[in-house]
Amino acid sequence: MSKYLYVYTLSLQNVLQRRASLLMDRVGGIATLLALYFFWSSIFKDSATVAGYPKAQMLTYVLMMSLLRSLVFTGRGWEVVGEISSGRLSNYLIRPIRYLGYCLSLDLAQKTVHCAAAVFEISILILVLGAPFHIPQSPQTWVLFPIIATFSTLLFFLLEFLVASLAFWTSESGGPLFCFDLLVQFLAGAFFPLDVLPRALQAALYMTPFPYLVFFPIDVYLERAPTEMALKVLATQGAWLVVVGMAAATVWRRGLRNYAAEGG
Amino acid sequence: MNVARLRQHFKIWLRIAAMSLSAQLSYGLGSFGFLLGKLIRLFFFFAYLLAIFRHTDRVAGYSLHEIALFFLTFNLIDIVAMVLFRGVYAARRVVEEGDFDYHLIQPCSPLFRMAASNVDFLDLATLAPVLALLAWAGPAVPGGLDPWRIGLYALLLANGIAIALALHVFVAGVAVRTQELENTIWIYRDLMFLGKFPVDVYAWPLRWALTFLVPIGVMVSFPAKGLLGTLSPAWTAYALTLASLLMAASVWFWKKSIAAYTSVSS
Repeated sequence: MSKYLYVYTLSLQNVLQRRASLLMDRVGGIATLLALYFFWSSIFKDSATVAGYPKAQMLTYVLMMSLLRSLVFTGRGWEVVGEISSGRLSNYLIRPIRYLGYCLSLDLAQKTVHCAAAVFEISILILVLGAPFHIPQSPQTWVLFPIIATFSTLLFFLLEFLVASLAFWTSESGGPLFCFDLLVQFLAGAFFPLDVLPRALQAALYMTPFPYLVFFPIDVYLERAPTEMALKVLATQGAWLVVVGMAAATVWRRGLRNYAAEGG
Repeated sequence: MNVARLRQHFKIWLRIAAMSLSAQLSYGLGSFGFLLGKLIRLFFFFAYLLAIFRHTDRVAGYSLHEIALFFLTFNLIDIVAMVLFRGVYAARRVVEEGDFDYHLIQPCSPLFRMAASNVDFLDLATLAPVLALLAWAGPAVPGGLDPWRIGLYALLLANGIAIALALHVFVAGVAVRTQELENTIWIYRDLMFLGKFPVDVYAWPLRWALTFLVPIGVMVSFPAKGLLGTLSPAWTAYALTLASLLMAASVWFWKKSIAAYTSVSS
């Protein structure tokens, strides 16, 4: 365990050292946040509720979406693809460390910094713009939301790892990963809440793991979902974690059998 | 630049474009994934806008067709800029690895050589659906379309592309000058997200910044306003003057950067 903690610490130092890169990464997040915040604000000038959301809830959705984007979607898929395709993966296979755990440690360090930055940005926005922000009233929400957000993070990490493992069979897996990353964000509700979509489409989406990454966690935070529903979200996330985790492990094992360390 | 030199540069562009297309076709699965991703980004965002208008009639005073017009105009300018100036995205690497030295000794403009070093046909392929959707949204704008508005739209589109070119030239100049400022172009890409919506949705300081400081609003919102007939002659004159000034300033900055270049890795 201590070696993964060491990787986490080193990676944390690395992310903090490259401050210009971090700043530029955050510009993207801030631009998306501002665009969606003002877009929804302008809609609420004419309506008290939209798609069942009062203004405070919708703007909180946008702000929390920014936080969850920083927590959930800062994966390591591109690095995994690069390491498999270039043969650099061999360096890790001969070490007494599990590659998945190593990647998770690196990813958590990145998420720590990005989440802290997102909290700072959201706080500034609330202070400067006087943005209405929903604070959960129920103690259950304060317990359940962090667990659900952690499950979301792990679920995306495994999903992206699964898609990135395609690199064992083709050197062109960058395209599918790019496609996957964009698709997931739209289907997860990371730009707009899924409630705005027609009901049939929502019902179809709820059968996939994607709404459990952003949409349902924010639903729980906003206390739109009662405690029973929040527990159901948690259980479904757990089930998806098991399914995706097993799929990722199986594909990884088969991929390793196919791995030829080309370029390594 | 005389006609013979223009023709020579066009031939070079065609050659580079043919090589880029060949590379993209040989990268079948990868190219398909990137193309599909770009289409997903376009269609899903558009689909969400359609879905939102099931719950509201107007956004910042604009109807669905008007908001679609802004969004599609943003995509049109963004895609054209990506197709024409894609090479700038690799500017820092070209300079850092010393390849820029080769650009300088070739008998063509080094700026052109850098900007056109890659022609992304995947972006070009996304142009067709944008044009098709524009053909749906355009005629539905209030008051209908007249030749004057269409002409103004075309002029302001060209103006927006000129501003995009100027910003890309600035970025290329920064890469040549510093070799250190990584991912400058990505700041531009990130800020471009703000152009997906009309500049009117933003609160005053941001709207001011997008009009005068980082003129994304002038680039992508003004053409749509021209087509809607809501852009005054004064703002039209401002947009045209701004593009001219930015073009002149970016070329000046580029020349200064080239003069200061000291061949990084050779």
